Amino acid sequence: MTRTPEPGEDTTLKTGMPRLRLRGDAPKPGRTTILPLAIGEIPAGLAEVAAAAGFSGAAGQAVRVSAPGFPDLVLAGAGMDAWERAGGSAMALLDATPPVLAGPARRIALDLRGLPPRAAIAVATGAALRGWTPPIRRQAPVPKRLRLILHVAEPEDLAEDVLAMQGVLAGVGFCRTLVAEPANILTPRRFAARLRALQDDGVTVEVMGVGALRAAGAGALLAVGRASAHPPCLVILRWPGTTGDERLVLVGKGMTFDTGGISIKPAAGMQDMRADMAGAAACAGAVLALARRRSPAPVTAVLALAENMPGRDAWRPGDVIRTLSGRSVETIDTDAEGRMVLADALAWAVRHERPAALVDLATLTGSIVTALGHHRAGMFGTDAPLLAHVGGAGEATGDAVWHMPIGAAHEEALKSDIADLRQCASGRLQPDACHAAAFLRHFAEGIPWVHLDIAGVETREEADWRGPAGPTGFGVRLLAALAAARFEDPHRA
Amino acid sequence: MPDIAFVKPTLPRGGALVLLLPEGAALTGLAADADEATAGAIARGIEAAAFTGRKAQTATLYAPGAGLARVVLVGLGKPAEVTPEALEAAGGTAWTAIASATEATIAADMLPPAEAARVAMGLVLRAWRFDKYRTTQKPEDMPKLGKIAIATSGVPAAKSAWTPLRAVADGVFLARELVAEPPNVLHPVEMAERCKALTKLGVEVEVLGPKEMRKLGFGALLGVAMGSEIEARMVVMRWNGAKKKGAPPVCFVGKGVTFDTGGISIKPAGGMEDMKWDMAGAGCVVGLMAALAGRKARVDAVGLVGLVENMPSGTAQRPGDVVTSASGQTIEVLNTDAEGRLVLADVLWYAQKHFSPKYIVDLATLTGAIIVALGHEHAGLFSNDDALSQKLTAAGLVTGEAVWRMPLGEAYDKGLKSDIADMKNIGGGRAGSSITAAQFIQRFIEPGTPWAHLDIAGTAWSTKDAPTIPKGATAYGVRLLDRLVADHDEDA
Repeated sequence: MTRTPEPGEDTTLKTGMPRLRLRGDAPKPGRTTILPLAIGEIPAGLAEVAAAAGFSGAAGQAVRVSAPGFPDLVLAGAGMDAWERAGGSAMALLDATPPVLAGPARRIALDLRGLPPRAAIAVATGAALRGWTPPIRRQAPVPKRLRLILHVAEPEDLAEDVLAMQGVLAGVGFCRTLVAEPANILTPRRFAARLRALQDDGVTVEVMGVGALRAAGAGALLAVGRASAHPPCLVILRWPGTTGDERLVLVGKGMTFDTGGISIKPAAGMQDMRADMAGAAACAGAVLALARRRSPAPVTAVLALAENMPGRDAWRPGDVIRTLSGRSVETIDTDAEGRMVLADALAWAVRHERPAALVDLATLTGSIVTALGHHRAGMFGTDAPLLAHVGGAGEATGDAVWHMPIGAAHEEALKSDIADLRQCASGRLQPDACHAAAFLRHFAEGIPWVHLDIAGVETREEADWRGPAGPTGFGVRLLAALAAARFEDPHRA
Repeated sequence: MPDIAFVKPTLPRGGALVLLLPEGAALTGLAADADEATAGAIARGIEAAAFTGRKAQTATLYAPGAGLARVVLVGLGKPAEVTPEALEAAGGTAWTAIASATEATIAADMLPPAEAARVAMGLVLRAWRFDKYRTTQKPEDMPKLGKIAIATSGVPAAKSAWTPLRAVADGVFLARELVAEPPNVLHPVEMAERCKALTKLGVEVEVLGPKEMRKLGFGALLGVAMGSEIEARMVVMRWNGAKKKGAPPVCFVGKGVTFDTGGISIKPAGGMEDMKWDMAGAGCVVGLMAALAGRKARVDAVGLVGLVENMPSGTAQRPGDVVTSASGQTIEVLNTDAEGRLVLADVLWYAQKHFSPKYIVDLATLTGAIIVALGHEHAGLFSNDDALSQKLTAAGLVTGEAVWRMPLGEAYDKGLKSDIADMKNIGGGRAGSSITAAQFIQRFIEPGTPWAHLDIAGTAWSTKDAPTIPKGATAYGVRLLDRLVADHDEDA
């Protein structure tokens, strides 16, 4: 079922990522150039200038120097092996003081000729991720997109790796851009419209509107979205893959704005709730990354998109909702809406997608921020091998997670006097992240399942080498790596 | 605590009889004898009560015949799941059904004798009461049962299994009592006095006051104590039970804030009474030392507790004060309610300098954030040592005192950066604040010392009865650490 976009709907695929070009020659003299170096491996010709700038090649070091032919040269330290960080740190330095010599075309050269392929890719990845720009709406002219020229020794050797990297970069950029969009611009319907752009890459896009959701019995998603003028929808992205019928199914929470509903949030900080769709955006980004490199893994993303508003016909605390799975849920707090929409999305996935594994991502709880802060997402699940693979993919990509428990007491807290389940517990000092995970577990219905609570890691408070302040794109790289490691082999156990 | 007597399996002539029954099992031994003596009343009762033997299921049959006042059936669950821990839980459950009886026998004749002792353990752990401050309680509200017979086919073996368990139970009770005591009674000076009682068990007890601690440079701990009328204490308890002398001891450190108002950064009034148990880490360490000494554990162990009261007053520490810890590192105190880590900083430093321990485990009711993270089932475990973490996790699984490992890392440590001192005592707000607290403590651990920090704020106190723990002080940690030592640190 496809729908033609309405006038004014933006259906182009925007990523905000720098454009990349691969070249086999030397950087053009005079151009702003980044030269990544391992610790202690400074070329003789640069020894003096590096020493004067206090540059040793330590991880994360970046200095701007002038060398013969290169008046604007950035030396970036990788320590022993931190190549991605070298690329990111160099771009962070250039971001702080814009590269005049890049000219109006904003071209920056990366001199990667001395590096092995893996290191060259890592530097380029770090530089591109740090060079991402958010969608900007100002009257003043917006600077042109950055261009990164990758100078490598043997371009042919790198072609395939560059394709995979570009897929990941597009995925992260797509995700970040969606998360950065304000909620008046990215409503559930417009979010769905943007996802249609994935069709150009061979992804099928199905959008279930209110009528279809009613027919499916998606009472939870419909309740959450009920009071908003922008109705909810469920979007299903399918990348066919080639390795069989059993699919990796990603499930994302996509609250385009979360006021909390009748259990309304305090005013301070509420503007950040435009990012409450970061889970759905990460799933979409991962599908794009896999499609761009024609991954053999069959992957589906099921994205529950809605806006949570107070209103005269709003869903109330105390309401009992019949979910798509048939289970009834007693509402305690309308600001615990993420688990409701995920419940229906998970149940839909279980019934329609033949999942070999379910992985859901959601900016779900403040509790996980209290627990783990801004450096790791909370990981919950039922299946030890899947947990290990997700954890490993997180460590490998920098989307770090930490395994958290679902205990008997957490399950106990969800007992309702009048329904199958309570949605959460009330009172202060509740382990709400664990309660939410225990709640979601019911809807995975025994299929290997991992839940990532990404509240706290979806947004970067301050710019660092990984990116500018704003959306992190957390999860895209993790999911793409998970699919590559576990779901591309047709003979996987 | 009721007296436990292990007796031969003969059918009692009166009182209560407890039958422990796995799911789907036929009546054997004493249970079969009782059924026969009552002309099938037990079998009929099982059917009438739809008793299947499901875990924690109970049914009471009154006056079934043969002179018995009542027969209590306690379900053990599926035969494969009848673990020693499940037997303890059954013992605890049995207590609630027989506490009002005047005499009782528990039929444990179908269990190995050592497991009969575990039933006794669960029973006494549940039977513990803290009635010291009740003066008007009616006799009918008190348990009447003073003595319980446990019928076993191996009396000597059960007795020898029971002796060390009883010592551990005594340690648990001591810890529970210290935690349950009100803060006007149990202040730092009084708690130090009570630690001295451990000398009777052969523990060497040394008490340091403010003068000695000032000499040691305990600026962090003494800063917390500044606002209180009552002096701070540090108590060092040594149990030298190892056969081989001279090996480094194991070391346990407890936070002992006998009452925590928060100080000048005062807490909200609602629920502040709970802060009497802000010394539960110290209570656990004292109880643990009693348990180890009581069962004559073949280990050298040191327990240290830092005892202070955190009060607002004209002499109190202020937010913004900078103090110098015993390690020499300076601390900007931005929140006087993040006081536990200040106490631990100095005591941990002392422990390492004086004892060069094999490892250190500290326990503290440190952060509300750990409750938001994990709830009340697991304590938060933070450690610089994977092997120690695994041992603690394993010990937690078999004692029911579970831990869950939480992360540490440089990214979290950065939150402690201060503009004017080596560190501040809080990070930036609630985000990851249990981790930040652990990072703070880690700054006082010397590299190479295996260390684990248990944040027990969610597990030290319980608002609900559990099978072997009446609501209130849980003594969380005593059995966990006793088991850790028993499994890994004792001489052969």
